[in-house]
Amino acid sequence: MIEFATTLCHEVSEMSPSSISTNSPQLEPPAAGENPRQFLLTNAGADLVGGLKRYDIWGRLGWLEVRRRYQRTVIGPFWATISFAIFVGAFGAVGAGLWHQPVGTFLPFLTAGMMIWLMLSAILTEAGTLFVGANNIFGQTRLNYSMLVYAMIWRNLIVFAHNILFFFALLLLFSPSDVNPNMLLAIPGMLVVILNCVWTTLLLGMFCLRFRDMQQFISSVIQVCLFVTPIFWPPEILTGTERGFIVSLNPLYHLIEIVRRPLLGQIPAMVSYEAALLMTAIGWTITYFVFRSFRKRIAYWA
Amino acid sequence: MTRIILEDVAVDFPIYGAHRSLRKTLVEHTVGGLISQSGNRLRKRIIISALRGVQLELNDGDRLGLVGPNGAGKSTLLRVIAGVYEPTHGRVLVDGRITPLFDALPGLYAEDTGYQNIVTSGLLFGMSRKQIESKIPDIEAFSELNEYLSLPVRTYSAGMISRLGFAVVTAIEPDILLMDEGISAGDARFAERAAQRMHQLIHRSSIMVLASHVDDLLLSTCNKGALMSEGRIVAVGPIADILKQYHA
Repeated sequence: MIEFATTLCHEVSEMSPSSISTNSPQLEPPAAGENPRQFLLTNAGADLVGGLKRYDIWGRLGWLEVRRRYQRTVIGPFWATISFAIFVGAFGAVGAGLWHQPVGTFLPFLTAGMMIWLMLSAILTEAGTLFVGANNIFGQTRLNYSMLVYAMIWRNLIVFAHNILFFFALLLLFSPSDVNPNMLLAIPGMLVVILNCVWTTLLLGMFCLRFRDMQQFISSVIQVCLFVTPIFWPPEILTGTERGFIVSLNPLYHLIEIVRRPLLGQIPAMVSYEAALLMTAIGWTITYFVFRSFRKRIAYWA
Repeated sequence: MTRIILEDVAVDFPIYGAHRSLRKTLVEHTVGGLISQSGNRLRKRIIISALRGVQLELNDGDRLGLVGPNGAGKSTLLRVIAGVYEPTHGRVLVDGRITPLFDALPGLYAEDTGYQNIVTSGLLFGMSRKQIESKIPDIEAFSELNEYLSLPVRTYSAGMISRLGFAVVTAIEPDILLMDEGISAGDARFAERAAQRMHQLIHRSSIMVLASHVDDLLLSTCNKGALMSEGRIVAVGPIADILKQYHA
Protein backbone atom coordinates (compact mmCIF):
# COMPACT_ATOMS: atom_id res chain seq x y z
CA MET A 1 0.00 0.00 0.00
CA ILE A 2 0.90 3.62 -0.35
CA GLU A 3 1.53 3.95 3.37
CA PHE A 4 4.27 1.42 3.39
CA ALA A 5 6.17 3.05 0.60
CA THR A 6 6.17 6.42 2.26
CA THR A 7 6.96 5.06 5.68
CA LEU A 8 10.04 3.48 4.21
CA CYS A 9 10.97 6.71 2.55
CA HIS A 10 10.59 8.58 5.79
CA GLU A 11 12.71 6.14 7.67
CA VAL A 12 15.47 6.47 5.16
CA SER A 13 15.56 10.23 5.40
CA GLU A 14 15.34 10.07 9.17
CA MET A 15 18.38 7.86 9.41
CA SER A 16 20.51 9.68 6.92
CA PRO A 17 19.66 13.33 6.53
CA SER A 18 23.10 13.69 4.96
CA SER A 19 21.90 11.89 1.87
CA ILE A 20 19.81 14.94 1.11
CA SER A 21 22.80 17.22 1.37
CA THR A 22 24.57 15.21 -1.28
CA ASN A 23 21.61 15.71 -3.56
CA SER A 24 21.85 19.44 -3.09
CA PRO A 25 25.49 20.39 -2.59
CA GLN A 26 24.81 24.04 -1.79
CA LEU A 27 23.29 23.05 1.54
CA GLU A 28 25.51 23.40 4.54
CA PRO A 29 25.07 21.00 7.42
CA PRO A 30 22.63 22.60 9.83
CA ALA A 31 24.18 24.12 12.91
CA ALA A 32 23.27 21.82 15.74
CA GLY A 33 21.13 23.29 18.47
CA GLU A 34 20.60 26.60 16.75
CA ASN A 35 17.29 25.89 15.13
CA PRO A 36 14.67 23.50 16.32
CA ARG A 37 14.94 20.76 13.74
CA GLN A 38 11.61 19.67 12.54
CA PHE A 39 11.66 16.82 10.14
CA LEU A 40 8.14 16.10 9.11
CA LEU A 41 8.65 12.47 9.70
CA THR A 42 7.53 10.87 12.82
CA ASN A 43 6.36 7.40 13.46
CA ALA A 44 3.79 5.87 15.74
CA GLY A 45 6.19 5.43 18.63
CA ALA A 46 7.47 8.98 18.40
CA ASP A 47 3.90 10.23 18.31
CA LEU A 48 2.95 8.29 21.42
CA VAL A 49 6.04 9.29 23.39
CA GLY A 50 6.27 12.82 22.03
CA GLY A 51 2.62 13.38 22.82
CA LEU A 52 3.06 12.11 26.35
CA LYS A 53 5.97 14.48 26.91
CA ARG A 54 3.83 17.50 26.11
CA TYR A 55 1.92 17.08 29.33
CA ASP A 56 1.72 20.84 29.48
CA ILE A 57 -0.58 20.74 26.45
CA TRP A 58 -2.75 17.72 27.18
CA GLY A 59 -2.90 18.55 30.84
CA ARG A 60 -4.20 21.97 29.94
CA LEU A 61 -6.61 20.79 27.24
CA GLY A 62 -8.10 18.26 29.64
CA TRP A 63 -8.32 20.63 32.56
CA LEU A 64 -9.86 23.46 30.55
CA GLU A 65 -12.48 21.10 29.16
CA VAL A 66 -13.55 20.19 32.70
CA ARG A 67 -13.75 23.86 33.56
CA ARG A 68 -15.67 24.64 30.42
CA ARG A 69 -18.24 21.99 31.19
CA TYR A 70 -18.96 23.39 34.59
CA GLN A 71 -18.46 27.02 33.75
CA ARG A 72 -20.40 29.41 35.95
CA THR A 73 -21.45 26.63 38.29
CA VAL A 74 -20.47 27.03 41.92
CA ILE A 75 -19.42 23.50 42.75
CA GLY A 76 -18.15 22.51 39.29
CA PRO A 77 -17.32 18.86 38.70
CA PHE A 78 -18.90 17.97 42.02
CA TRP A 79 -22.19 18.15 40.15
CA ALA A 80 -21.18 14.94 38.46
CA THR A 81 -20.43 13.56 41.90
CA ILE A 82 -23.79 14.67 43.27
CA SER A 83 -25.81 13.08 40.50
CA PHE A 84 -23.67 10.00 40.95
CA ALA A 85 -24.38 10.03 44.70
CA ILE A 86 -28.10 10.38 44.13
CA PHE A 87 -28.07 7.41 41.78
CA VAL A 88 -26.01 5.26 44.12
CA GLY A 89 -28.22 6.14 47.06
CA ALA A 90 -31.40 5.27 45.21
CA PHE A 91 -30.23 2.12 43.52
CA GLY A 92 -28.26 1.07 46.58
CA ALA A 93 -31.50 0.78 48.53
CA VAL A 94 -33.18 -1.22 45.76
CA GLY A 95 -30.22 -3.42 44.93
CA ALA A 96 -29.45 -4.35 48.50
CA GLY A 97 -33.00 -5.67 48.72
CA LEU A 98 -32.92 -7.37 45.34
CA TRP A 99 -29.79 -9.38 45.95
CA HIS A 100 -30.32 -9.72 49.70
CA GLN A 101 -27.11 -7.91 50.50
CA PRO A 102 -26.41 -5.88 53.61
CA VAL A 103 -26.42 -2.19 52.72
CA GLY A 104 -23.02 -1.78 54.38
CA THR A 105 -21.34 -4.04 51.82
CA PHE A 106 -23.55 -3.45 48.81
CA LEU A 107 -23.36 0.31 48.82
CA PRO A 108 -19.52 0.54 48.68
CA PHE A 109 -19.50 -2.26 46.08
CA LEU A 110 -22.02 -0.45 43.90
CA THR A 111 -20.30 2.91 44.34
CA ALA A 112 -16.83 1.64 43.49
CA GLY A 113 -18.02 -0.31 40.45
CA MET A 114 -20.24 2.47 39.17
CA MET A 115 -17.50 5.05 39.61
CA ILE A 116 -15.07 3.04 37.48
CA TRP A 117 -17.80 2.25 35.00
CA LEU A 118 -18.71 5.92 34.60
CA MET A 119 -15.11 6.68 33.74
CA LEU A 120 -14.73 3.77 31.32
CA SER A 121 -18.01 4.44 29.54
CA ALA A 122 -17.26 8.15 29.23
CA ILE A 123 -13.86 7.37 27.74
CA LEU A 124 -15.25 4.78 25.34
CA THR A 125 -18.05 7.09 24.21
CA GLU A 126 -15.82 10.10 23.76
CA ALA A 127 -13.22 8.03 21.92
CA GLY A 128 -15.66 7.85 19.04
CA THR A 129 -15.63 11.60 18.51
CA LEU A 130 -12.04 12.21 19.55
CA PHE A 131 -10.61 12.96 16.12
CA VAL A 132 -13.87 13.87 14.41
CA GLY A 133 -14.26 17.14 16.25
CA ALA A 134 -10.60 17.99 16.67
CA ASN A 135 -9.91 19.65 13.36
CA ASN A 136 -9.51 23.04 15.00
CA ILE A 137 -6.60 21.66 16.97
CA PHE A 138 -4.57 19.81 14.38
CA GLY A 139 -5.68 21.59 11.21
CA GLN A 140 -2.81 24.05 11.27
CA THR A 141 0.30 22.59 12.76
CA ARG A 142 1.85 19.19 13.06
CA LEU A 143 0.87 17.75 16.39
CA ASN A 144 1.10 14.35 17.93
CA TYR A 145 -2.31 12.80 17.70
CA SER A 146 -1.76 10.87 20.90
CA MET A 147 -1.94 14.18 22.76
CA LEU A 148 -5.68 14.30 22.20
CA VAL A 149 -5.99 10.82 23.66
CA TYR A 150 -4.10 11.79 26.78
CA ALA A 151 -6.10 15.00 27.14
CA MET A 152 -9.38 13.15 27.01
CA ILE A 153 -8.34 10.45 29.46
CA TRP A 154 -6.87 13.03 31.79
CA ARG A 155 -10.14 14.94 31.79
CA ASN A 156 -12.05 11.82 32.78
CA LEU A 157 -9.51 11.05 35.49
CA ILE A 158 -10.18 14.49 36.95
CA VAL A 159 -13.89 13.70 37.19
CA PHE A 160 -13.00 10.28 38.61
CA ALA A 161 -10.92 11.95 41.29
CA HIS A 162 -13.96 13.92 42.40
CA ASN A 163 -16.09 10.79 42.57
CA ILE A 164 -13.51 8.86 44.53
CA LEU A 165 -13.74 11.40 47.34
CA PHE A 166 -17.41 10.53 47.62
CA PHE A 167 -16.54 6.84 47.63
CA PHE A 168 -14.09 7.23 50.49
CA ALA A 169 -16.60 9.23 52.51
CA LEU A 170 -19.16 6.51 51.93
CA LEU A 171 -16.75 3.74 52.83
CA LEU A 172 -15.78 5.42 56.08
CA LEU A 173 -19.44 5.87 56.89
CA PHE A 174 -20.72 2.38 56.09
CA SER A 175 -17.84 -0.04 56.51
CA PRO A 176 -14.75 1.59 58.00
CA SER A 177 -13.46 -1.88 58.85
CA ASP A 178 -12.67 -2.46 55.17
CA VAL A 179 -10.01 0.24 55.11
CA ASN A 180 -6.71 -1.64 54.96
CA PRO A 181 -3.38 -1.72 53.08
CA ASN A 182 -4.91 -3.81 50.29
CA MET A 183 -6.37 -0.57 49.03
CA LEU A 184 -2.95 0.41 47.73
CA LEU A 185 -3.38 -2.28 45.07
CA ALA A 186 -5.90 0.05 43.45
CA ILE A 187 -2.99 2.17 42.21
CA PRO A 188 -1.34 -0.47 39.98
CA GLY A 189 -4.85 -1.57 39.02
CA MET A 190 -5.67 1.94 37.93
CA LEU A 191 -2.46 2.13 35.90
CA VAL A 192 -3.41 -1.00 34.00
CA VAL A 193 -6.89 0.41 33.41
CA ILE A 194 -5.40 3.65 32.07
CA LEU A 195 -3.03 1.76 29.78
CA ASN A 196 -6.01 -0.07 28.37
CA CYS A 197 -7.96 3.15 28.01
CA VAL A 198 -5.16 4.67 25.92
CA TRP A 199 -5.05 1.95 23.33
CA THR A 200 -8.83 1.59 23.18
CA THR A 201 -9.28 5.32 22.71
CA LEU A 202 -6.66 5.52 20.00
CA LEU A 203 -8.04 2.54 18.14
CA LEU A 204 -11.69 3.55 18.43
CA GLY A 205 -10.81 7.16 17.66
CA MET A 206 -9.22 6.20 14.35
CA PHE A 207 -11.87 3.64 13.53
CA CYS A 208 -14.77 6.02 14.19
CA LEU A 209 -13.08 8.77 12.24
CA ARG A 210 -12.91 6.59 9.19
CA PHE A 211 -16.22 4.83 9.64
CA ARG A 212 -18.68 7.29 11.05
CA ASP A 213 -21.32 4.64 11.79
CA MET A 214 -19.15 3.18 14.50
CA GLN A 215 -19.89 5.93 17.00
CA GLN A 216 -23.54 5.03 17.13
CA PHE A 217 -22.70 1.36 17.32
CA ILE A 218 -20.31 1.86 20.20
CA SER A 219 -22.72 3.89 22.28
CA SER A 220 -25.36 1.19 21.98
CA VAL A 221 -22.86 -1.52 22.88
CA ILE A 222 -21.77 0.47 25.94
CA GLN A 223 -25.35 0.63 27.19
CA VAL A 224 -25.62 -3.12 27.03
CA CYS A 225 -22.26 -3.58 28.74
CA LEU A 226 -23.55 -1.77 31.80
CA PHE A 227 -26.11 -4.49 32.36
CA VAL A 228 -24.07 -7.56 31.52
CA THR A 229 -21.12 -6.45 33.64
CA PRO A 230 -21.40 -7.04 37.38
CA ILE A 231 -21.74 -3.47 38.55
CA PHE A 232 -25.34 -3.39 39.71
CA TRP A 233 -25.20 -6.97 40.81
CA PRO A 234 -22.54 -8.95 42.67
CA PRO A 235 -20.57 -11.30 40.37
CA GLU A 236 -21.04 -14.12 42.87
CA ILE A 237 -24.67 -14.43 41.78
CA LEU A 238 -23.60 -15.89 38.44
CA THR A 239 -20.38 -17.69 39.31
CA GLY A 240 -20.86 -21.42 39.24
CA THR A 241 -24.06 -21.19 37.24
CA GLU A 242 -24.31 -21.88 33.52
CA ARG A 243 -24.25 -18.13 32.93
CA GLY A 244 -20.93 -17.77 34.72
CA PHE A 245 -19.20 -17.06 31.44
CA ILE A 246 -20.94 -13.66 31.31
CA VAL A 247 -18.71 -12.69 34.18
CA SER A 248 -15.55 -14.69 33.57
CA LEU A 249 -15.26 -13.85 29.87
CA ASN A 250 -16.18 -10.21 30.29
CA PRO A 251 -13.06 -8.08 29.80
CA LEU A 252 -14.72 -5.10 31.43
CA TYR A 253 -15.40 -7.15 34.54
CA HIS A 254 -11.71 -7.94 35.00
CA LEU A 255 -10.68 -4.35 34.39
CA ILE A 256 -13.17 -3.14 36.97
CA GLU A 257 -12.18 -5.86 39.42
CA ILE A 258 -8.51 -4.90 39.62
CA VAL A 259 -9.55 -1.49 40.89
CA ARG A 260 -12.79 -2.26 42.69
CA ARG A 261 -11.58 -5.13 44.88
CA PRO A 262 -8.66 -3.16 46.30
CA LEU A 263 -10.93 -0.18 46.93
CA LEU A 264 -13.11 -2.49 49.00
CA GLY A 265 -10.05 -3.66 50.89
CA GLN A 266 -9.82 -7.02 49.11
CA ILE A 267 -7.22 -8.61 46.87
CA PRO A 268 -8.40 -9.16 43.28
CA ALA A 269 -8.37 -12.68 41.86
CA MET A 270 -5.20 -13.54 39.97
CA VAL A 271 -7.27 -14.33 36.89
CA SER A 272 -8.46 -10.73 36.75
CA TYR A 273 -4.87 -9.51 36.67
CA GLU A 274 -4.01 -12.06 34.03
CA ALA A 275 -6.97 -11.09 31.89
CA ALA A 276 -6.23 -7.38 32.25
CA LEU A 277 -2.56 -7.78 31.39
CA LEU A 278 -3.36 -10.03 28.46
CA MET A 279 -5.77 -7.40 27.20
CA THR A 280 -3.12 -4.74 27.60
CA ALA A 281 -0.59 -6.74 25.61
CA ILE A 282 -2.91 -7.76 22.80
CA GLY A 283 -4.63 -4.39 22.60
CA TRP A 284 -1.41 -2.44 22.46
CA THR A 285 0.07 -4.71 19.83
CA ILE A 286 -2.92 -4.32 17.55
CA THR A 287 -3.24 -0.60 18.18
CA TYR A 288 0.44 0.01 17.59
CA PHE A 289 0.36 -1.64 14.20
CA VAL A 290 -2.87 0.05 13.19
CA PHE A 291 -1.56 3.40 14.38
CA ARG A 292 1.72 2.88 12.57
CA SER A 293 -0.02 2.11 9.33
CA PHE A 294 -2.77 4.70 9.45
CA ARG A 295 -1.52 7.56 11.63
CA LYS A 296 -0.83 9.81 8.70
CA ARG A 297 -4.24 9.07 7.23
CA ILE A 298 -5.93 10.67 10.23
CA ALA A 299 -5.58 14.14 8.73
CA TYR A 300 -7.05 12.90 5.48
CA TRP A 301 -9.98 11.20 7.13
CA ALA A 302 -10.88 14.17 9.29
CA MET B 1 20.21 27.29 8.61
CA THR B 2 16.55 27.17 7.83
CA ARG B 3 15.38 25.20 4.87
CA ILE B 4 12.52 23.39 3.29
CA ILE B 5 12.94 20.53 0.89
CA LEU B 6 10.12 18.77 -0.88
CA GLU B 7 11.01 15.78 -2.97
CA ASP B 8 8.49 14.46 -5.45
CA VAL B 9 5.62 15.20 -3.10
CA ALA B 10 2.14 14.00 -3.93
CA VAL B 11 -1.02 14.38 -1.91
CA ASP B 12 -4.12 12.39 -2.74
CA PHE B 13 -7.33 13.08 -0.92
CA PRO B 14 -9.69 10.18 -0.76
CA ILE B 15 -13.25 11.39 -1.03
CA TYR B 16 -15.56 9.28 1.03
CA GLY B 17 -18.66 11.45 0.92
CA ALA B 18 -21.57 9.15 0.26
CA HIS B 19 -19.72 5.94 0.84
CA ARG B 20 -17.96 6.84 4.02
CA SER B 21 -19.79 4.27 6.05
CA LEU B 22 -18.54 0.88 7.05
CA ARG B 23 -21.55 -0.77 5.49
CA LYS B 24 -20.74 0.52 2.05
CA THR B 25 -17.11 -0.45 2.38
CA LEU B 26 -18.12 -3.94 3.31
CA VAL B 27 -20.45 -3.99 0.35
CA GLU B 28 -17.69 -2.75 -1.88
CA HIS B 29 -15.43 -5.49 -0.70
CA THR B 30 -17.94 -8.12 -1.57
CA VAL B 31 -19.25 -6.55 -4.73
CA GLY B 32 -15.83 -5.37 -5.84
CA GLY B 33 -15.94 -1.65 -6.30
CA LEU B 34 -19.18 0.14 -6.87
CA ILE B 35 -17.78 3.53 -7.50
CA SER B 36 -14.59 3.56 -9.43
CA GLN B 37 -12.79 6.69 -10.31
CA SER B 38 -9.27 5.75 -9.45
CA GLY B 39 -7.56 3.60 -6.88
CA ASN B 40 -5.76 0.34 -6.60
CA ARG B 41 -6.93 -3.14 -7.35
CA LEU B 42 -8.00 -3.78 -3.77
CA ARG B 43 -10.36 -0.93 -3.29
CA LYS B 44 -11.53 1.52 -5.88
CA ARG B 45 -12.47 4.95 -4.68
CA ILE B 46 -12.66 8.55 -5.74
CA ILE B 47 -9.38 10.30 -5.24
CA ILE B 48 -8.49 13.91 -5.73
CA SER B 49 -4.84 14.45 -6.53
CA ALA B 50 -4.22 17.75 -4.80
CA LEU B 51 -0.47 17.72 -5.34
CA ARG B 52 1.60 15.79 -7.83
CA GLY B 53 5.36 15.54 -8.24
CA VAL B 54 6.13 18.69 -6.33
CA GLN B 55 9.84 19.49 -6.12
CA LEU B 56 10.78 22.49 -4.05
CA GLU B 57 13.80 23.72 -2.19
CA LEU B 58 13.79 26.87 -0.11
CA ASN B 59 16.67 28.32 1.87
CA ASP B 60 17.35 31.27 4.14
CA GLY B 61 16.05 34.50 2.69
CA ASP B 62 13.61 32.94 0.27
CA ARG B 63 10.22 34.59 0.14
CA LEU B 64 8.11 32.46 -2.09
CA GLY B 65 4.81 33.55 -3.54
CA LEU B 66 2.47 30.79 -4.62
CA VAL B 67 0.24 31.80 -7.47
CA GLY B 68 -2.31 29.91 -9.46
CA PRO B 69 -6.03 29.52 -9.95
CA ASN B 70 -8.35 28.25 -7.25
CA GLY B 71 -7.82 24.58 -6.62
CA ALA B 72 -4.29 24.58 -7.97
CA GLY B 73 -2.99 23.17 -4.68
CA LYS B 74 -1.58 26.29 -3.02
CA SER B 75 -3.27 25.78 0.34
CA THR B 76 -2.56 22.07 0.30
CA LEU B 77 1.11 22.75 -0.35
CA LEU B 78 1.19 25.15 2.60
CA ARG B 79 -0.40 22.54 4.80
CA VAL B 80 2.04 19.90 3.68
CA ILE B 81 4.91 22.18 4.65
CA ALA B 82 3.15 22.92 7.94
CA GLY B 83 2.97 19.18 8.56
CA VAL B 84 -0.80 18.93 8.74
CA TYR B 85 -0.80 16.46 5.88
CA GLU B 86 1.95 13.96 5.51
CA PRO B 87 2.34 13.44 1.78
CA THR B 88 0.99 10.24 0.33
CA HIS B 89 4.11 10.04 -1.78
CA GLY B 90 7.54 11.63 -1.62
CA ARG B 91 9.11 13.31 1.37
CA VAL B 92 9.30 16.60 3.13
CA LEU B 93 12.16 17.97 5.15
CA VAL B 94 11.64 21.10 7.15
CA ASP B 95 14.42 22.55 9.24
CA GLY B 96 13.17 25.38 11.41
CA ARG B 97 10.20 26.40 13.46
CA ILE B 98 7.04 26.79 11.45
CA THR B 99 4.54 29.53 12.07
CA PRO B 100 1.36 28.93 10.12
CA LEU B 101 -0.82 31.98 9.64
CA PHE B 102 -3.89 30.34 8.24
CA ASP B 103 -7.40 31.17 9.37
CA ALA B 104 -8.30 30.95 13.04
CA LEU B 105 -6.12 30.19 16.01
CA PRO B 106 -5.63 26.50 16.64
CA GLY B 107 -7.60 25.31 19.62
CA LEU B 108 -9.61 28.49 20.00
CA TYR B 109 -12.41 27.92 22.49
CA ALA B 110 -15.23 30.43 22.72
CA GLU B 111 -15.83 29.67 26.39
CA ASP B 112 -12.24 30.34 27.42
CA THR B 113 -10.94 33.82 28.09
CA GLY B 114 -8.59 35.64 25.77
CA TYR B 115 -5.67 34.94 28.09
CA GLN B 116 -6.50 31.25 28.32
CA ASN B 117 -6.69 31.00 24.55
CA ILE B 118 -3.36 32.78 24.17
CA VAL B 119 -1.69 30.14 26.33
CA THR B 120 -3.46 27.20 24.67
CA SER B 121 -2.64 28.38 21.16
CA GLY B 122 0.92 29.20 22.12
CA LEU B 123 1.41 25.69 23.47
CA LEU B 124 -0.10 24.19 20.34
CA PHE B 125 2.29 26.30 18.29
CA GLY B 126 5.09 24.57 20.15
CA MET B 127 6.05 27.28 22.61
CA SER B 128 6.72 26.63 26.25
CA ARG B 129 4.62 28.17 28.98
CA LYS B 130 7.47 30.50 29.85
CA GLN B 131 7.92 31.71 26.28
CA ILE B 132 4.22 32.46 26.07
CA GLU B 133 4.21 34.40 29.34
CA SER B 134 7.00 36.55 27.99
CA LYS B 135 4.97 37.32 24.87
CA ILE B 136 1.82 38.34 26.72
CA PRO B 137 2.71 42.03 27.20
CA ASP B 138 3.41 42.28 23.49
CA ILE B 139 0.11 40.59 22.64
CA GLU B 140 -1.75 42.83 25.09
CA ALA B 141 -0.22 45.96 23.62
CA PHE B 142 -0.72 45.02 20.02
CA SER B 143 -4.22 43.55 20.17
CA GLU B 144 -5.52 46.51 22.20
CA LEU B 145 -8.20 44.25 23.56
CA ASN B 146 -7.44 45.43 27.10
CA GLU B 147 -9.92 44.13 29.66
CA TYR B 148 -11.57 41.97 27.01
CA LEU B 149 -8.63 39.59 27.29
CA SER B 150 -10.00 38.51 30.66
CA LEU B 151 -13.42 37.77 29.20
CA PRO B 152 -14.56 34.66 27.33
CA VAL B 153 -13.88 34.86 23.63
CA ARG B 154 -17.58 34.36 22.87
CA THR B 155 -18.10 37.96 23.95
CA TYR B 156 -15.76 39.17 21.21
CA SER B 157 -16.83 40.55 17.87
CA ALA B 158 -15.53 38.82 14.76
CA GLY B 159 -13.00 41.61 14.28
CA MET B 160 -11.78 41.25 17.85
CA ILE B 161 -11.26 37.52 17.43
CA SER B 162 -9.13 38.07 14.36
CA ARG B 163 -7.18 40.76 16.23
CA LEU B 164 -6.45 38.31 19.00
CA GLY B 165 -5.41 35.64 16.52
CA PHE B 166 -3.23 38.02 14.60
CA ALA B 167 -1.57 39.34 17.73
CA VAL B 168 -0.78 35.82 18.92
CA VAL B 169 0.59 34.34 15.72
CA THR B 170 2.65 37.42 14.97
CA ALA B 171 4.16 37.37 18.45
CA ILE B 172 5.87 34.06 17.72
CA GLU B 173 9.48 34.31 16.60
CA PRO B 174 9.21 32.90 13.12
CA ASP B 175 11.76 30.84 11.23
CA ILE B 176 9.38 29.77 8.53
CA LEU B 177 6.29 31.78 7.93
CA LEU B 178 3.40 30.20 6.06
CA MET B 179 0.57 32.44 4.98
CA ASP B 180 -2.65 31.73 3.16
CA GLU B 181 -4.19 34.72 1.40
CA GLY B 182 -2.71 37.20 3.83
CA ILE B 183 -4.65 37.96 6.94
CA SER B 184 -7.60 40.24 7.33
CA ALA B 185 -7.59 41.88 10.70
CA GLY B 186 -10.13 44.23 12.19
CA ASP B 187 -10.99 47.80 11.38
CA ALA B 188 -9.12 50.23 9.15
CA ARG B 189 -6.80 51.57 11.84
CA PHE B 190 -5.94 48.10 13.03
CA ALA B 191 -5.46 46.86 9.48
CA GLU B 192 -2.78 49.47 8.97
CA ARG B 193 -0.94 48.48 12.14
CA ALA B 194 -1.38 44.85 11.17
CA ALA B 195 0.20 45.44 7.80
CA GLN B 196 3.15 47.10 9.49
CA ARG B 197 3.58 44.31 11.99
CA MET B 198 3.26 41.76 9.25
CA HIS B 199 6.01 43.46 7.36
CA GLN B 200 8.32 43.29 10.39
CA LEU B 201 7.40 39.68 10.91
CA ILE B 202 8.22 38.77 7.34
CA HIS B 203 11.46 40.66 7.72
CA ARG B 204 12.43 38.65 10.81
CA SER B 205 11.55 35.30 9.27
CA SER B 206 14.10 33.24 7.40
CA ILE B 207 11.73 31.73 4.90
CA MET B 208 8.26 32.81 3.93
CA VAL B 209 5.74 31.08 1.75
CA LEU B 210 2.68 33.10 0.81
CA ALA B 211 -0.29 31.95 -1.21
CA SER B 212 -2.19 34.90 -2.60
CA HIS B 213 -4.15 36.33 -5.48
CA VAL B 214 -3.15 39.90 -4.71
CA ASP B 215 -0.36 40.94 -7.06
CA ASP B 216 0.68 43.98 -5.03
CA LEU B 217 1.08 41.92 -1.89
CA LEU B 218 3.08 39.28 -3.74
CA LEU B 219 5.32 41.81 -5.45
CA SER B 220 6.00 43.74 -2.24
CA THR B 221 6.76 40.75 -0.02
CA CYS B 222 8.13 37.98 -2.23
CA ASN B 223 11.36 37.57 -4.16
CA LYS B 224 10.48 34.24 -5.70
CA GLY B 225 7.37 32.89 -7.23
CA ALA B 226 5.97 29.49 -8.04
CA LEU B 227 3.15 29.04 -10.47
CA MET B 228 0.86 26.18 -9.65
CA SER B 229 -1.67 24.45 -11.80
CA GLU B 230 -3.63 21.29 -11.16
CA GLY B 231 -1.47 20.22 -8.27
CA ARG B 232 1.85 20.75 -9.96
CA ILE B 233 4.45 23.47 -9.74
CA VAL B 234 4.62 24.59 -13.33
CA ALA B 235 7.28 27.25 -13.04
CA VAL B 236 9.59 28.76 -10.42
CA GLY B 237 11.38 32.08 -10.86
CA PRO B 238 11.46 35.72 -9.86
CA ILE B 239 8.02 36.75 -8.64
CA ALA B 240 7.51 39.41 -11.34
CA ASP B 241 8.18 36.90 -14.12
CA ILE B 242 5.93 34.31 -12.55
CA LEU B 243 3.08 36.78 -12.25
CA LYS B 244 3.58 37.78 -15.86
CA GLN B 245 3.43 34.15 -16.87
CA TYR B 246 0.33 33.61 -14.74
CA HIS B 247 -1.55 36.49 -16.29
CA ALA B 248 -0.40 35.71 -19.81
